[in-house]
Amino acid sequence: MARKLIDISHISKSYGDNLVLDDLNLYINENKFLTLLGPSGCGKTTLLRILGGFETPNKGNIIFDGVDITNLAPNKRQLNTVFQKYALFTHMTIAENIAFGLKIKGKSKAYINDKIKYALKLVNLDGYENRTADQLSGGQQQRIAIARAIVNEPKVLLLDEPLGALDLKLRQDMQYELIRLKNELGITFVYVTHDQEEALTMSDTIVVMNQGYIQQIGSPEDIYNEPENAFVADFIGESNILPATMVEDKLVKILGVNFPCVDTGFGRNKPVDAVIRPEDIDLVKPGEGLLDGVVTHLIFKGVHYEMEVMANNYEWLVHSTDMFPVGTEVGIKVDPFDIQIMKKPQSEDEEAVPIEE
Amino acid sequence: MIKSTLQKIYLGFILLLLYAPIITLIVLSFNSSKTRSKWGGFSGKWYTALFQNEDIMNALYTTLTIALVSALVATLIGTMAAIGIQALNAKFRTVMMTVTNIPMLNADIVTGISLMLLFIACRAFFPKFSLGFATVLLSHITFNIPYVILSVMPKLKQTSKYTYEAALDLGASPLYAFFKVVFPDIFPGVSSGFLLAFTMSLDDFVITHFTKGAGVDTLSTKIYSEVRKGIKPEMYALSTLLFVSVLFLLILVNTAPQDNVVKKKKEVGKFKKAANIVFRRVIPAIMVIVVVAGGFFYSSLGKTNASEQVVVYNWGEYIDPEVIDMFEEETGISVIYEEFETNESMYPKVQAGAVAYDLVCPSDYMIQRMIENNLLDEINFDNVPNIKNIGEEYFKQSKSFDPENKYSIPYCWGTVGILYNKTMVDEEVDSWSILWDEKYADQILMQNSVRDAFAVALKYSGYSLNSKDLDELEEAKELLMEQKPLVQAYVVDQVRDKMINNEAAVGVIYSGEAIYTQSQNSDLVYVVPKEGSNVWIDSWVIPKNAQNKENAEEFLNFLCRADIAKKNFDYITYSTPNTAARDLIEDEELRNSTTAFPDASILNRCETFQYLGTKFDDIYNELWREIKSK
Repeated sequence: MARKLIDISHISKSYGDNLVLDDLNLYINENKFLTLLGPSGCGKTTLLRILGGFETPNKGNIIFDGVDITNLAPNKRQLNTVFQKYALFTHMTIAENIAFGLKIKGKSKAYINDKIKYALKLVNLDGYENRTADQLSGGQQQRIAIARAIVNEPKVLLLDEPLGALDLKLRQDMQYELIRLKNELGITFVYVTHDQEEALTMSDTIVVMNQGYIQQIGSPEDIYNEPENAFVADFIGESNILPATMVEDKLVKILGVNFPCVDTGFGRNKPVDAVIRPEDIDLVKPGEGLLDGVVTHLIFKGVHYEMEVMANNYEWLVHSTDMFPVGTEVGIKVDPFDIQIMKKPQSEDEEAVPIEE
Repeated sequence: MIKSTLQKIYLGFILLLLYAPIITLIVLSFNSSKTRSKWGGFSGKWYTALFQNEDIMNALYTTLTIALVSALVATLIGTMAAIGIQALNAKFRTVMMTVTNIPMLNADIVTGISLMLLFIACRAFFPKFSLGFATVLLSHITFNIPYVILSVMPKLKQTSKYTYEAALDLGASPLYAFFKVVFPDIFPGVSSGFLLAFTMSLDDFVITHFTKGAGVDTLSTKIYSEVRKGIKPEMYALSTLLFVSVLFLLILVNTAPQDNVVKKKKEVGKFKKAANIVFRRVIPAIMVIVVVAGGFFYSSLGKTNASEQVVVYNWGEYIDPEVIDMFEEETGISVIYEEFETNESMYPKVQAGAVAYDLVCPSDYMIQRMIENNLLDEINFDNVPNIKNIGEEYFKQSKSFDPENKYSIPYCWGTVGILYNKTMVDEEVDSWSILWDEKYADQILMQNSVRDAFAVALKYSGYSLNSKDLDELEEAKELLMEQKPLVQAYVVDQVRDKMINNEAAVGVIYSGEAIYTQSQNSDLVYVVPKEGSNVWIDSWVIPKNAQNKENAEEFLNFLCRADIAKKNFDYITYSTPNTAARDLIEDEELRNSTTAFPDASILNRCETFQYLGTKFDDIYNELWREIKSK
């Protein structure tokens, strides 16, 4: 059913001594919304540029629809890119921008005009044919950049942080717009972002990357609920990542306290990391939880309160709709299925990102 | 209110200061009087004269052709270079930018000389290679490239590389993407680079001066070579026209409608689009056609069909242009004519041999130096029968620098003396002592040249003007220092104008100039002081590396013809050694003028300059520097 459209195998890329991608393997299925997610410098943009043909990998190859396109020039590839900074041609009208690719392909005037109308309608900008780029807002420019790419009917649309320059409200609107477009066009989107919320909202599949390595591939739910290592847990949403010992199957010792959990297969008395999402912690009366602590910080975040609770020499991050003033003594309770057990990091790229103050 | 009025006055004042010189120039170009200080009524005659002056028009078209071609080529190369540099990584880019910037910051004179040396060095491989139009063009292209790079780079930096990639992404080939997407973005930089290169090329004097060959003149070198005889009012007219055209160009550039303006105002789109085409295409195209066609037209005027030629290197304004035309017509030999300003600037050019001159006209002491340095060829006098017209006494005089009369034929000569205004000086002047008379403080004009100034002081003290005695020189120096507070100015050409305009009472002047001033102001009197003075002779010589020696001798013979020498005398007004020509002068007063033709008693008091060798050149220069800097 889901057909493999792009197969990326053993791709390595370095600039001088700087290794950006290391032996990376990934396949992309047809009609999927795939997101490459990671902090800046993780190699996600480089991977996208290799797909677009703007960079050549040092090693490995890319099979597109059964054909090796590793060394194919960008203008020969059946994919189109939407650039971070829109890259509209400022000396042309909107219509000329959109017609650019079609003219090169030698399409008829009537066909081109139809396509322009269709594309502008698709991005909700009918009647903008004769404007120039500098007369449009950022969001409008971005939609024109998308329109310019999709009129060429590519099999894959590559998007390089297309919403990065927009303000929050516009960004959220555009997220829905992109999902709608993807569904209407029925083509594959490969989307690059460092914004985990954007990734979780839009994607069918998320590829989390760090330091040139893929950390985890999975659906947004998998990635959020079952991060495979500290980096993923830390990068996707906020987490309490605690050093722990797996006492036995379904029992983990955190900060000297035994917590029942649901994970098995880590062995006995093995060091692990335990991830507990802040919204999964229930604050109860002292003595009613597994351990007690004192609220040290309280911030109102709108949807919930964010609190820090000092317990057993660890500051627990807690999200709750109930408010406990600073100084209140509370008990901490976690349901077994809300504890995610991960093996200790094997390499630097799997470690949690240190918090920068 | 007051503040804003003051601001406006201040602004007006600054604008006035900025434009005062140009306004003066424009006013003078319409002045029918030849002198700068008198308004002789409004007239357009200098403009008419300008367009009838083939030399100037030729220079103008050479200038425009070189400016246009060099700017075009430099724009092409510079733009490509800028794109290449932009694509380098940051470290190499900085290195490359520094390397390309150096020629621009380099002093023009260094660039000029090094280019000349390079061209001369090329002759080791291509013996036929000679300085000329091509070398000037190559030099201009060379110094223009950095300007283009400099104006294209910022535009390239502003241009996001993503627009280029976006074009590739949409299926454009790299070339198509460049011309459709990148080029329109950097076009303002490219066109301002072109305009900058064009103006730099128009402007350039120094580099052209060093790299040009015989017969090639741009406006700046042409104007410079005319300075010796004073700037002709045609030049005011020409400068005015240049200023007006640059102004016009600037207005065009600043008012040319922009693309997006056209699109914003759709209702007037049609008209604007048409205007745009006119500004962007038609006007530049017309300019190109005019320049190229004009260039061909004038270059065809300058050439005869004959392959025979003679390359002549002469002082500025030192021949009647009609004489050259007549010679070309009579013999079919085309004359490639170039001018120099001083003996000292002529010498290195002949010595370097980058241009093979056939005939040069240096002064006495310089001829001596050229003979000593083995630069001259003996003249075959059998080919110059008209030499019989030259007075015997001038060959005798020439022996001081050409002892065997083998190398030179006298062309012009004269004395150095005192010119005074008899309305301002009551006494009879017969001695250099008047130049030390405190009565005339601030009324005295001295020659601003080391040998001329020392000649005055040495002769006044009774010594030879070729003195190599350090005590005598020291004494002369003291005298000149003593005189300095009395001197109104040390000048070269301005003696003539200042004396004509009654701006000074006494001045040291060449006799040829004196004849001209007397024709303009009858109050002026010329004397050769009793202590003696300098008599100078400018003679024709043939350099060793001449390519057309027989043609040169034919031209010499032509110049020695009585009617031709007379024609030249009328034009130059410097004394001619051609006695047959002197007999043809109708004006009896002039024919017997002691200014133009001093009698033997005067000549016997005079000496010619001799080449003193480098050691004494240095001593003279050092002493002169001491005087000038005190």
